Amino acid sequence: MNFRQKIIFTSSIAIAFIFGITPVTNAMHIMEGYLSPMYCILWGAICMPFLVWGYFSIKKTVAKDRKSITLIAMSGAFIFVVSSLKIPSVTGSCSHMTGTGLGAILIGASSVSILGLIVLIFQAVLLAHGGLTTLGANTFSMAIAGPLVSFGIYKLCIKLKVNKYVSVFLAASIGDLFTYCVTSLQLALAYPSEMGGIQVSAAKFLAVFAPTQLPLAIIEGILSVLVIIGLETYAQSELRGIGFLKVGEK
Amino acid sequence: MKRIKHNHGEGVRIDYYAYASHIKHWNATFKVFFSLVIMVICIAFNNPYVSTVVIVAMAYITIVKGQLPLSEYLRVLAIPTTFILLSVVAIIFDFSKEPMGLYHFPVGLGYFYTSKAMLKTGLYLTLKVFAAISALQMMTLSTPFSEIISVMRKAHVPKLVIELMNMIYRYIFILLEVSTKMKNAADSRLGNCDFKTSCSTFGSIGANLLVISMRKANAYYDAMESRCYDGDFLFYEEDRAVDKNLIMKAALFIVILIIIGCYTRL
Repeated sequence: MNFRQKIIFTSSIAIAFIFGITPVTNAMHIMEGYLSPMYCILWGAICMPFLVWGYFSIKKTVAKDRKSITLIAMSGAFIFVVSSLKIPSVTGSCSHMTGTGLGAILIGASSVSILGLIVLIFQAVLLAHGGLTTLGANTFSMAIAGPLVSFGIYKLCIKLKVNKYVSVFLAASIGDLFTYCVTSLQLALAYPSEMGGIQVSAAKFLAVFAPTQLPLAIIEGILSVLVIIGLETYAQSELRGIGFLKVGEK
Repeated sequence: MKRIKHNHGEGVRIDYYAYASHIKHWNATFKVFFSLVIMVICIAFNNPYVSTVVIVAMAYITIVKGQLPLSEYLRVLAIPTTFILLSVVAIIFDFSKEPMGLYHFPVGLGYFYTSKAMLKTGLYLTLKVFAAISALQMMTLSTPFSEIISVMRKAHVPKLVIELMNMIYRYIFILLEVSTKMKNAADSRLGNCDFKTSCSTFGSIGANLLVISMRKANAYYDAMESRCYDGDFLFYEEDRAVDKNLIMKAALFIVILIIIGCYTRL
């Protein structure tokens, strides 16, 4: 082998190593140990009001109807399982949905914050995705910012009388993109660039994660629409039960 | 232990290893707090020596004391590799109009460059993340989740949250089993033969999963109600004695870590 061939050979091995050994691209959980203590506490504190709001919202629902506790718990388990399912992907790598966007559309934005927090703890402990010290940052990007945007876009689209499937698609994929932007910003705040500061650093993180996250957002949108179509076919009574469809609506 | 390929039963796997671990009998509260303290030390010091010591010590506890096969341990540690690789690339490379830094190569309008300081940050960060992850895995690979929940209950996490976690923990495995069955059924009928089909398969699986989970939720509530459920779950908890010797060792280890951290402050 001459020098050139050697370089090509080595780089192909490197590529095979990077893409072959680690085929798991999940939504962007910030890993355990990634953030300094200051940011861990800061993001946790920012989450607090939303979590308290979610807590009281769930408490009110349960006080009104005791039976809803199993429904809420099942929704949490559903979000977890959907986010652990392998989704079809073009590149052959194996990726996962966030699931919280769909959750926000189906069960409402207020309770999704607490459920999202619980699901993130389960993902950290049972799947080794994310972590405990970075729980605050992950909760903010995945269980609060993303779902709130999804929910807002969905309601806005319904107000503007956009087709329901188009609005579900927009809500899920834009919510996912927003999560990706917030996570990049969180990473940039923790590790600002030497020369350009936070802006340059944010641009770098956005660019590095774009190849995995942009297709994922589109696919998440499509899959959420397909799940909603499936639900409307099989499960109108259940959808009325969780308040997604109003009584009499088809 | 049987080797299973990446089949999205990882959740079941980590939990399964926790039940099989030889250090399961250590007091759960001790394990949770020990691993939390070590994680905090790792991120607070951000020191390569501390991180290396933690990685080695945690691997020792999990593999030698806990009797977890090495290959499985490495597999669990490898889960976050994509994230670490991508984010470290973003940290160690910077972009500028002029050639600068230790290494640089031209691209289009300017240069990608890296400097010694940036490479150092990247290396320390990687070590720190792996140290913190191995501390977390020391706990999760040896403590069943139900015991972690009971530790949270002792730490006065609100009752409603504990209740939800207890329920969700049980429901996850039921839904995972259902979804695996659906996936196998779809696979055996060529449900994943191409991209379009697999998308619609995913949609149907997701929809049916929600239908089933809603139906089961109602059935479970009735079942709990008929057994006098009144908002409290009372589980039998094994009383695991606190081993004084173990606490001494852990305290010593933490003190050593802090000393290493202070002496090699960079």
